[in-house]
Amino acid sequence: MFPTVSASGLTLRYGGTPALDDVSLRLEEGVTGLLGPNGAGKTTLLRVLATAVPADRGVFTVLGHDPGTAAGRQNLRRELGYLPQTPGFHPDFTAFAFVDYVAILKEMTDRSARHREVSRVLQAVGLSDVRGKRIKRLSGGMRQRVALAAALVGDPGFLVLDEPTVGLDPQQRMRFRELVAEAGEGRTVLLSTHQTEDVAMLCRRVIVMSSGRIRFDGTPAELTARAAGRVWSSAERDPGARAGWRTGLGSFRNVGDPPEGAELLEPTLEDGYLFTLDGEPVREAAA
Amino acid sequence: MRAVAVPGPDLKEPTRVRTYPVVRALLRPVAHMLPHRALAAGSVLGLLLAAVPRLYERPDAELGVGLLRAAALAFALGAAFLLDDPARHITAAVPTGRAVRVGLRMALVAPLAVLWWTAALLLVPEAARPPVGAMTLEAAATLALALAAATAAVRFSGQSEPGLGAAGGLLAAAVAATLLPVPLGLLVPVADPGWDSAHQRWAAVLAGAVLVCAYCMREAVRPNASRAALTSPSGTSGPPRR
Repeated sequence: MFPTVSASGLTLRYGGTPALDDVSLRLEEGVTGLLGPNGAGKTTLLRVLATAVPADRGVFTVLGHDPGTAAGRQNLRRELGYLPQTPGFHPDFTAFAFVDYVAILKEMTDRSARHREVSRVLQAVGLSDVRGKRIKRLSGGMRQRVALAAALVGDPGFLVLDEPTVGLDPQQRMRFRELVAEAGEGRTVLLSTHQTEDVAMLCRRVIVMSSGRIRFDGTPAELTARAAGRVWSSAERDPGARAGWRTGLGSFRNVGDPPEGAELLEPTLEDGYLFTLDGEPVREAAA
Repeated sequence: MRAVAVPGPDLKEPTRVRTYPVVRALLRPVAHMLPHRALAAGSVLGLLLAAVPRLYERPDAELGVGLLRAAALAFALGAAFLLDDPARHITAAVPTGRAVRVGLRMALVAPLAVLWWTAALLLVPEAARPPVGAMTLEAAATLALALAAATAAVRFSGQSEPGLGAAGGLLAAAVAATLLPVPLGLLVPVADPGWDSAHQRWAAVLAGAVLVCAYCMREAVRPNASRAALTSPSGTSGPPRR
């Protein structure tokens, strides 16, 4: 099976700072989570793969299309859905008119077919009831769903979502997870997030980035396993722990190298993520 | 399950979608999203300035020149907001290119600009009306400078709303134009012997601004450095060498 995305040696510098440093990866069908601290290069990687910005060096294809040519980039964009970190809208447009506008930009010129498609995606994101409402009157969560609908319009084969759950309340996030999970059925979704819970619940694969490089590429279970045997409970904060905090139960949850006889706890994905960023040897992306 | 596209000959030739139906469908939404307030403010202020000579009993051509220049600047300041698009980021990766979208905005405003300039010229009493061709050249160059600043800001900074910066740049350029030494002057009086040569410089400004616009409307494409690197280590599952 051909990978949806195949990238090799992607490098991009802003001034002298490397935002992407020799990144190679392959993505196949399903939801892949992209984790990393601020400034790790997640958004830059997404923007490069979405053809919003060209890389300085490196090569990649998406669904077989080469964005290094004008023709390839145009064909790639025909199969791409992109939800940027700060989408931005025309506030006086209705939800329907805005998604319709994006659909036209995606070259859907048959009016009735386009309107059916816009209705379909608005229904998919649960906005059918407010389709005639101006975007400036919608809540933040609804606006994010308008942006997701705009990304989904045209049934793209590759969906790039940059921190789509930022600013959403827990209920909205849960609804958004449902939508992303649905979107991941039958297509490739690359989801950048700070929320490790989103990755744990949605993704069958996770990539961790830091300083423009890929530090981990594997399953959420493999990432969690990195912290196995390194999370323990104690009555007081263990001075030898890399991190420790009092839990709601009153005991301390410590992360690091446990003392002998410590009461070990089940690690979470977040624990594994922290260990990956904290001095672990760099493991290149799976080729 | 979605069929994953196999790398194919489309890397050489895009699937042709005719631009005209896309442009036709875009007319209404793009007309809706134009910066109506900024355009209206620039237009109204410009017309008011052009009408000032009517308040004078015996207006002369120098007054007409100065006020028509100010009117053209006012209109261009409004037009500097033409490319403001709060949804630029969400539409950054659509197949309809920047050139089509920017070109459509400009095309929609072009008839308005022609009508507005005609009205501005007619508002100046005949006795105070300077040479129409030369003044039209100045107005066109001023407008083109505003649009060049906006397109350059979009291209090089990715700003979604470059209008304020472009307008500021245009104002700075206008101030700088008043400081130019005589041999390079643009804002020369109508009776000045350097009027014709100044308008050759205006023509150069117009040509330069149009070239900047045309260059910045295109999106940067950086060719893949080495397509061979896309072949998988096993050589069985990656795209073929091209």
